[in-house]
Amino acid sequence: MIDVKEVKNEFQKDIANISSIGENAILHIKYLGRNGLINQLLAEIKNKPDSEKKAYGLQVNLTKKIIEEGINIKTKELSSKKSNVFFDKTLPGKAYPKGSLHIVSYAIEEITKIFEKIGFIRVSYPEVDWEYGAFESLNIPSNHPARDDVETSFIDVPAHSVLGKMVLTPHTSNGQNREMKRVGKPPIRMINISKCYRPNWDAIHTPMFHQFEGLCVDQNIDITNLKGTLDYFAEEYFGKGTKTRLRPHHFQFTEPSFEVDVTCTVCQGKAKINGVKCKVCKSGWLELGGTGMVHPNVLKEGGIDPKKHSGWAFGFGIERVIMMKYGLDDIRNYYSGDIRFLEQF
Amino acid sequence: MNIKITHNWLLEYLDTDATPDEIREYLSLCGPSIESVEKAGNDYVYDIEVISNRIDYASVLGIAREAAAILPMFGKKAKLLKDYLLKSNDQPLKSELQLEIQDSKNLCPRKLAVVMDVKVGPSPGYIKNRLEACGIRSLNNLIDITNYVMLETGHPAHVFDYDRVKTGKIIVRKAKTGEKITTLDGKEYILNSNDIVFDDGTGRIIDLPGIMGLKNSVVTEKTKKIIFWIETNDPKAIRQTSIRLGIRTVAASINEKNPDSVAAAFALLKGIELYKKTADAKIISPIYDTNPQSEKRKSIDFDYEIFEKKIGIKIEKEIIEKILKNLGFEIIYLESGRMQAAVPSWRANDINIPEDVIEEVARVYGYQNIPSHLQPAVYVKQPKDMENIFVFQNKIKLLLKHLGLNEVINYSMVSKDQLINFGFDPKIHLRLSNTLSKDIEYLRTCLTISLFKNIKDNTGKKEVMKLFEIGKVYLPKNGDLPDEVYKIGIATNTDYFDLKGIIEAIYKELNILDPSVPEITEKDGVFLAEINLQKLINNSRSFPTYKPINPYAVIKLDKTFEITPHTTYEVVCIKAFQSKLLQKIEVVTLYKNKLSLRFYYSSLSRNITEDEAKSELNKIKVLVSHNPTAY
Repeated sequence: MIDVKEVKNEFQKDIANISSIGENAILHIKYLGRNGLINQLLAEIKNKPDSEKKAYGLQVNLTKKIIEEGINIKTKELSSKKSNVFFDKTLPGKAYPKGSLHIVSYAIEEITKIFEKIGFIRVSYPEVDWEYGAFESLNIPSNHPARDDVETSFIDVPAHSVLGKMVLTPHTSNGQNREMKRVGKPPIRMINISKCYRPNWDAIHTPMFHQFEGLCVDQNIDITNLKGTLDYFAEEYFGKGTKTRLRPHHFQFTEPSFEVDVTCTVCQGKAKINGVKCKVCKSGWLELGGTGMVHPNVLKEGGIDPKKHSGWAFGFGIERVIMMKYGLDDIRNYYSGDIRFLEQF
Repeated sequence: MNIKITHNWLLEYLDTDATPDEIREYLSLCGPSIESVEKAGNDYVYDIEVISNRIDYASVLGIAREAAAILPMFGKKAKLLKDYLLKSNDQPLKSELQLEIQDSKNLCPRKLAVVMDVKVGPSPGYIKNRLEACGIRSLNNLIDITNYVMLETGHPAHVFDYDRVKTGKIIVRKAKTGEKITTLDGKEYILNSNDIVFDDGTGRIIDLPGIMGLKNSVVTEKTKKIIFWIETNDPKAIRQTSIRLGIRTVAASINEKNPDSVAAAFALLKGIELYKKTADAKIISPIYDTNPQSEKRKSIDFDYEIFEKKIGIKIEKEIIEKILKNLGFEIIYLESGRMQAAVPSWRANDINIPEDVIEEVARVYGYQNIPSHLQPAVYVKQPKDMENIFVFQNKIKLLLKHLGLNEVINYSMVSKDQLINFGFDPKIHLRLSNTLSKDIEYLRTCLTISLFKNIKDNTGKKEVMKLFEIGKVYLPKNGDLPDEVYKIGIATNTDYFDLKGIIEAIYKELNILDPSVPEITEKDGVFLAEINLQKLINNSRSFPTYKPINPYAVIKLDKTFEITPHTTYEVVCIKAFQSKLLQKIEVVTLYKNKLSLRFYYSSLSRNITEDEAKSELNKIKVLVSHNPTAY
């Protein structure tokens, strides 16, 4: 006669001494095999009084379950140990593919979202334009130096009788007139992000670059609104606490015109790091780009009455803000297609 | 352009208690951007950026005027000590020396000149030191004074050796194409008929006015008599000639920006004073001024209210008036809230509309003193087609990134060789007429040309390469702007099915049901494909078609086909899907031309038997074997 409790105790002793999968298999046969101890216990059921049969059966099954689980756990333990080979948890995990986006793509998405939150819509306008779109509509007269062929890339096709020569747009401002005409009537809240081109190729210039252009036209838009928007952008993009300042400047399509500086992201505007002069900025400030109140002639050209409406506009370089934020200053790598640069982002 | 002036020099025109650092800081905020101030001996040198419309402050006097308006706003004392001295004490001479000045086409609107006996020699120390601190080499007193006068007054000046001009005549004319000149630095240039020159009446060119003097008339160590000369120029002509010949002197940079013609007279008087002081000069001719100008000012009229409306805050009337007067404006109040501002001569070119006057007030008041408020938010509808372009681009970019591809942005221009290498005709591409490099001469009509180059350029840097670009191509149209079409270009150095899988993944992501995958080409081990973004958007669905979960049994059967040009996977699929019970087909293996497929049969309304499924599968065999080359 064998006893359920004894079988259970014996199993606990046996399983504690197992050290290989082979031994574990033998244990499996001893307890769970066809002539194993569990089956022997079950065979005893016929000798039990009817009143005990049910309780006895449950007891045996419970023991069977414990043994099964014990053996399973042991099997897992032993197989994960792969015998005596050391299991190095510090090895890297399975390699999943990791691609990259161009650093400019990330910046475009980020900037778009920042302006969407304050109601600006992103638009898409031509990169190849007539002189009218790139210059005349922006109050830039035909003798202006920006229209020299050292400043603008021209396309070798016959000029349009009214709209002038065909050019690669040297700025995103060519979207201003188009957006005014598309909307027909203010309000305008535009963010135009696009490739731009200028014949300039050296350590800090590439002949193609990206700009983002903000344009806001409405009733009663004044300098305080431009300042508000610039402060908002600077904090959102460069981080909390970033300050802006406006300095007087000159652009044909804005009046007044400003240059915007933001506090240096490296020295936080202090101009010094641990008592040493900051290497990135001149005086705690970094130049962001040009901005101003939309020139009345530009509004008129877009079919908007400058007596009723006013606006502000800015155009900043995407490469420039990336450089300011992350210090990635070798701009030539941006468009060289070198995989060692691209795959880092 | 930038100019340099010194602090002590500035103090000759400005009485102030501001330190050089304060001057740098306050002027940069409200006026000229002073990029640096550096100590030089017992003086300080300011390096100042001159923006294109403010040539009036490219001088000691100009900076003094700005400082006199700006510094008081910061609580600093600042008073302009002297402005243009427009009258000379010199009496017109009855001299035997006369100059003959001719300009029949009025190419130089104002010409001023005087002949003087002089003693050539080194400049006094303060002139030498100041010029050299400001980045101008000191040569001798005769030449130094022209530069000194230019920096002090803002108007370029010139000096000729009277005896080397020979004829006493200065005739302003256009050059003849092919005429040659030698500038005072010994370089030769060939002129064309747009260039303006001075002729001594014999056909000999003696000056390239407004840009640079010539070797044949410049003063030397032997000079006894000089013509001290100043003219005003046609700014456009100066710019054209100076850029074309590559002679970018400070004088040219100033003259091409139309400096104040009143300053020309001031410069002449200042020069005479300095020649007398430093070169023992004696005037021996009349003082010529071909176009003496009365100070006639233009005026701008506007509603006084406009200041508050455009700036956004109310600025006291007294402050506005003070700012404008300090800047040289004259203010008259008209009835019914209107105001008239008379513009000083040195601002005649850049102050034209009320907004220009607003800028003057706002900048001197200080942009830092104007508060900052976001404008009220309004809803502006974004056109759906524009929105889609951006949303889908981003979706596809992220998908491709997560599939392990690297995004590239290439120049929109490619080389002629690249086009020809891909079998394209350069003539049907837009070409830049002033390209910087043959590498970026033609606007691309496809992305794969550049992606191919990317893979080749990266050889040896990375073994497996999968690149993509999303950007525009430029398809020329006759007499109109090109069509700018967004494309997705993909290039890999792996294999055909790798690239095909990437494209299929995009289709799946966009729930495109009927993928007719674009052509994949292979060139020199690089697999290339290009997809039109707009077409993808048109075929995409925002949400997949939902199918209820099928509760009935699915019977899976495998079968192997021998694939041939007539029994392709696609052919088998078409035949197999003639069965209404077939749910999907999977590729199990491909070994040589043996293709093992797994067929999933099921009904949406009942459990089917294995025999039913087998009979469906056998139908494919029947159909396929009708074809003589089939399995």
